[in-house]
Amino acid sequence: MKTGENVILHLENITKKFGKVTAIDQVTLSVKAGERIVIIGPSGSGKSTLLRAVNILEEIDHGRIFFKGDPVGYTAIKGKQILDSPKNISRLRSKIGMVFQNFNLFPHMTVLANIMEGPVTVLKKTKNEAEKTARDMLKKVDLSDKWQVYPATLSGGQKQRVAIARALAMNPEIMLFDEPTSALDPELVGEVFNTILSLAKEGMTMIIVTHHMGFAREVADRVVFMEKGAMVAEAPPEKFFSACMENKRIADFIQNIL
Amino acid sequence: MVKQGVIHIHRSMGRVILYALLCLAFFPSLTTAAVSDPASVFSAANNFIAAGDYQKAIETLGAIPKPDPNTSGSDFVKSRIQTASLYHALKQTKKAQAACHDVLELFPDNKEARNFLIALKKEEIPFYILFFRDCTRFLPSLLKGAVLTLALTFLTMVISPLGGLFIALGRMSRFKSFAGLCWFIIWFFRGTPLLLQLFFIYYGLPALGITFSPFTAAIIGLSLNYSAYLGEIIRGGIESIGHGQMEAAKAIGMTYTQAMRRVIIPQTYKRLLPPIGNEFIALIKDTALVSTIAMVELMRSADQMFNTYFNVNVLIIAAMVYLAFTTVFTLVFERIEKKVGAYENR
Repeated sequence: MKTGENVILHLENITKKFGKVTAIDQVTLSVKAGERIVIIGPSGSGKSTLLRAVNILEEIDHGRIFFKGDPVGYTAIKGKQILDSPKNISRLRSKIGMVFQNFNLFPHMTVLANIMEGPVTVLKKTKNEAEKTARDMLKKVDLSDKWQVYPATLSGGQKQRVAIARALAMNPEIMLFDEPTSALDPELVGEVFNTILSLAKEGMTMIIVTHHMGFAREVADRVVFMEKGAMVAEAPPEKFFSACMENKRIADFIQNIL
Repeated sequence: MVKQGVIHIHRSMGRVILYALLCLAFFPSLTTAAVSDPASVFSAANNFIAAGDYQKAIETLGAIPKPDPNTSGSDFVKSRIQTASLYHALKQTKKAQAACHDVLELFPDNKEARNFLIALKKEEIPFYILFFRDCTRFLPSLLKGAVLTLALTFLTMVISPLGGLFIALGRMSRFKSFAGLCWFIIWFFRGTPLLLQLFFIYYGLPALGITFSPFTAAIIGLSLNYSAYLGEIIRGGIESIGHGQMEAAKAIGMTYTQAMRRVIIPQTYKRLLPPIGNEFIALIKDTALVSTIAMVELMRSADQMFNTYFNVNVLIIAAMVYLAFTTVFTLVFERIEKKVGAYENR
């Protein structure tokens, strides 16, 4: 493969079909260390599927995924693509943080236990180590005082920030945000965006799927527009929101969003 | 004196005539007997007793009059005591006592009447004291059987959730043949009577050279049957947990096993407790079925004692023991339910 300097993630000709519907259509995308990619596009355009394909929550039909230069997730046997062993896939996922639209916190664990779960169960850290990390992460998302409550008592924004802390506790190489504010009341969106922005400032590599153009403009190094599974345009935000507006489809989409 | 005597004779004659008329009216068979004669009264009464008609015997004996103070009155005493024992046989204790009192009124020192009265009073003990006595009499052997009932219940309660979890995960397995096997186990053990399964394991398998002790056979039968039921309940519980939980667990790098053990299964506990509690209460009662494969548990020992003593209290006491067990189970499960999964309400 072509290895740019510090390419963390490289997707090559990714294709995914659900029956006859092509969810991802030959997408190629490289993400360098510290780079922030924002993916936008109408619903059903394959943004989330692409994100989920990165950590193999969605199995792709064609194409290859490289993580820090190494092919991951699949092995080619006689031209046929076969899913890697569960163990290898789990190891890959432990290096990729993912934040879901619906938070998916573990309701039977306290906030602290939610964040400690990965480091203890997956990374085999001691309870003490994991607790220290978890408290640091809680401080980072500004929820230090909520460590002993259960998720059910938190607001949506707080839940999402705990979910971010849970992903960060694994010390991931890249963070994937799958519409992190879509399930939130409008007044709670800001606190989650601020948390993501502060992560960006620390140099975290991330791919964000969102519908908020303002946030995209603010956080992105590059904006990717997807439609019907294909990458239609890709540009830095200044260029994207001016030049790409000449593309009628993109202009219509952004017009509708705003 | 003479006058008095005549009057007395007249009176008693009148009575005799009255009784004769009564006999004429009610006992046509006695019309020929001279009822004024005590000996014939007794023989007539004996005839009725022999015929099993105690009521008529009592009425016949009533013909013996109260004696004069200066006569011996032995016939009267004899007739009243006999009346008392007839009433006793008819379970009319109050009337039997009244007959004894008739004697004691005139002959306070009569030992026979006194003893009879004491015996009758003893029999008048209230039913709950009698029931309590039966409890002390039957409960020890019933509890011996109940120990076995509890042993069967607890062992099955430990084995069947594990078996159920195994079957539930098996049915969801990617390996189609294993999933098929688990489907078959559920299909078979839910689809045939537990009684038949027990018979097959205890009486059927020896024909194939596999022999179990009754206890082992009972445990195998109960555990397989309840594993099949719990398997479906547990699978339902696991599938009721949102898909996002498994994805979130996988996203932080957990394997399927880790995700199940740490994230999915702990969340099913609260939902599974009510249906599993139900199954366990059914289990306590289903252990009665193993009495058919030579196990003397609570039901069997109740059955044996009932057949020996024909005392219905045995069955009532056995029912109370079962109720005690199921009540304790219900309370314990309610307690656990409140404690488990409190996170949902906090």
